[in-house]
Amino acid sequence: MNKEKVSLSRFELLMDAGFGAQKAGDILIRAFAKTGRYVYIEPMIPAEISPPPRTHAALSGVIIRVGDFDITNIGNDTDLIISSHEICLERRLDDDENNRKCRVLLDMGNKVGNEDSYERVCKRIAKLGLSLFPFEIDEAAKAVIKSLGGKGENMYYLGMMSAIYNMPKEILVTEIKITFGKKLVGKILDDNLLLFNNGYDYAQKNVIFSYEVQGIEKARKDPILIDGNTSMSMGIIDAGIKLYSGYPITPASSIMHTLAKELPSFGGMVHQAEDEIAAIGTAVGSYFGGVPAVTCTSGPGLSLKQEFIGFASSAEIPIIVIDVQRSGPSTGMPTKTEQSDLPAAIFGNHGDNTKVVLSVSNVIDCFYAPQMARYLTEKLRLPVFILSDFLTANSYKIIEKPIVNQISDINNIPDFVFDRFHINRLPDNIEMVRDLQSIPGEEGKMRRVTGLNTDHEGKISYDAEVNQRAHRLRNEKIHHVRRALRLPEMFGPDHGEILVVGWGSNRGVIEETINMCKKEGIPASGMHLRIVYPLPLMLKEVFKKYKRIVTIELAYGDELKPPPLTALLRTETLVDVQALWCGATGRPFRPRALKHKIEDLLKQK
Amino acid sequence: MTTDTKNPAAGLTLKDLQTDNPRWCTACGDFGVLMGMKRFMVDKQISQVTTVNVSGIGCSGRTPNYINSYGAHTIHGRPITFATGLILTRPDLQVFIHSGDGDALSIGGNHLIHGINKNLNCVFLLYDNELYALTKNQTSPTTRIAHPTNTQPSGTMLEPLNAIRLVLGIGASFVASTADWMPDHLAKTLEAAYEHKGFSFVHISQRCPHFDPNNFAHKETNWFSFLTHEKGIAADKRIMDKTELTPHDPNDLEAAFKLAISPKRYFGLFYRNSSKPSYDQIMRDNVKNAKPKPRANILDKFGINDT
Repeated sequence: MNKEKVSLSRFELLMDAGFGAQKAGDILIRAFAKTGRYVYIEPMIPAEISPPPRTHAALSGVIIRVGDFDITNIGNDTDLIISSHEICLERRLDDDENNRKCRVLLDMGNKVGNEDSYERVCKRIAKLGLSLFPFEIDEAAKAVIKSLGGKGENMYYLGMMSAIYNMPKEILVTEIKITFGKKLVGKILDDNLLLFNNGYDYAQKNVIFSYEVQGIEKARKDPILIDGNTSMSMGIIDAGIKLYSGYPITPASSIMHTLAKELPSFGGMVHQAEDEIAAIGTAVGSYFGGVPAVTCTSGPGLSLKQEFIGFASSAEIPIIVIDVQRSGPSTGMPTKTEQSDLPAAIFGNHGDNTKVVLSVSNVIDCFYAPQMARYLTEKLRLPVFILSDFLTANSYKIIEKPIVNQISDINNIPDFVFDRFHINRLPDNIEMVRDLQSIPGEEGKMRRVTGLNTDHEGKISYDAEVNQRAHRLRNEKIHHVRRALRLPEMFGPDHGEILVVGWGSNRGVIEETINMCKKEGIPASGMHLRIVYPLPLMLKEVFKKYKRIVTIELAYGDELKPPPLTALLRTETLVDVQALWCGATGRPFRPRALKHKIEDLLKQK
Repeated sequence: MTTDTKNPAAGLTLKDLQTDNPRWCTACGDFGVLMGMKRFMVDKQISQVTTVNVSGIGCSGRTPNYINSYGAHTIHGRPITFATGLILTRPDLQVFIHSGDGDALSIGGNHLIHGINKNLNCVFLLYDNELYALTKNQTSPTTRIAHPTNTQPSGTMLEPLNAIRLVLGIGASFVASTADWMPDHLAKTLEAAYEHKGFSFVHISQRCPHFDPNNFAHKETNWFSFLTHEKGIAADKRIMDKTELTPHDPNDLEAAFKLAISPKRYFGLFYRNSSKPSYDQIMRDNVKNAKPKPRANILDKFGINDT
């Protein structure tokens, strides 16, 4: 094997759903992490449970990015693909994310009876100029796979990938044993280790190239491997939230799964409601009783929750709504990422809209967002959103273990959480529509809340002035947030030709692209918004320092329709903000392609 | 809004429960329900500060505003969902849900099914005036057939939905029926409902003199009967001499179904099952029985170095 030393590589394992591609990927990235590399992994998950194998719909796999620096996004330019047959490879080639020199290792084991199809795909690879390396799983391994009911190819491919990335065998064997745990031992473990070994040996002997990804010298302090939804779940526990009330929906459900196992050990409950409306109703009811609660959903569920969100604003009951966005509208693409729920979050309910919208850009944000949301919702007694998305929810990263705050009272949230979300603490006394804000059981403070308009005593009133006052005070709460917002996170020079603005999961792409631009002398800067609504007051002044303000967002837009963030920024700043890159492809943005778009824009002077 | 500055040792009186005057129409049946509710609270000396009245939308939805305790007038059809949050996390509170026939059986039907199935510990009052009133006289699921309304002016098209049969079918652990014009029976019914642990479903025939003055011949007594049993609810003292009494064992589910589908209306206790577990209790037990873990270590299991 020829060894290429690289500081970054991206590769993919493509299989049919249900054959363990993600498990193989997880094992490998743990091994990478233990040997000092940074990793980022994105699973490709079909929307169905077990679609017919050898169909495009069945594609299930992992994209792994590994390097010697902190990787913030899934990037592009795949260097290597291992595919278990030609059909899933064909489907993936449609996404056009590979490097032009990409090496494709195609398992020919399915060729018999599918010769035409194999030929078609091989011709396509040749036409694309990619290098094809056909291979077949050896007979001994095939026999083992057969004895395992057709499962186990993933371990063979894991062996191949490990050899191609020059990973020591012993480290992988240890990781496999950890993954299989105490239950899967004996013959099952031995069979899987045999498959891994055979794959490893096969690749070492037969694959002519290999990569060695540079690692960092020093071992990181307390590294953990965690995905966005698990991090959010742990963040909910750390924030001191005692009730999770939800209804199953992809891609939010895994938060409920994690908490169903964990929350009772921390004195909390997971309530699976009969529908999305009931889920938020119960969370609002719990918060009315003084018990912090959260509800979690995805796009279609958000539509159903809107009436209660309006009620919570009016009745001044805190509520945290987590929306793990997926591609819409309607059922859309449940396992693809998008950022199109922004208007629904900001403006979605009936009547005047007063709420705060936070977003998360990575697994660390996911961990701290629940406490930030809890602070804001309890201070303001208005609904607070956390917008995540499929990509952030499902991507894994190795990070230094975040500090656990063990919040029981919002006054104990440390400064660094506020710093992360670029916001100052809110004033101590924020005026509410109703003077009295007690919880049931408090002596001397009985009160009734209602969705009807009320005066400061909580009395129902249809008077013009009283209604105007209630609106003014609810909006004043949002203005408190506006005034508390600091300059958002910036990348690159604080003035110049182009400022690229994005929110949520686009942070990593912006950061990496701007770093690339800096190295190549391209005059571009970036801005990332973690709090997307309201917007900070100095935004217009910041925008004035650049010739062009452009956005990137994973939402549809075209020359006649600005996508959501673009429209919002235009409205709020009256600056001619343009969408540089927007789209509803279900795939994340890619740094190199973004750099090209910046370069093209610079040429249009 | 009023405050409870009174010494609790002095005992709860009707006056303590007083708020601003209700905004219901004159002679509205909701006044009877409100009075029955207050009388029950006084009779049983229910703590105001730990009582939460939760309602949806409609004439019945206003009730929490008219009882001086804690309350939440929520959104249409969803009071059960809101109440669930309190019932799960605040077992120290007494939760009463006030819901109309449109609120409970139409827009909120799903929640009624699941509230009953979960046997949430609360008292549920169904104010059944057999039409939509606050939105001005439309057909509801319980409007009698052929009765004209603004949405079905040639007469309501379908047979009414039978609420008692519905909830018995879902598996309600407590099913009783009463009427707004017999506050004594209503208070006694609420007392029995309150003493039952679980979802206590109380059906209340409620007059709407404004939109349907001819419904419920409340001055006549030949069209209904009281269910009586030593474990049941006593017949209304003012009326019992003028009407038929029907002995019925509230443990007998089959007999309860037969009564529910009978053309005659029965007031009293249809069914009670004291052994049905409550979801909220199970949930709290789960928390109690879970092995406590220190929050400081929540991220440790994701560590990759020390495994």
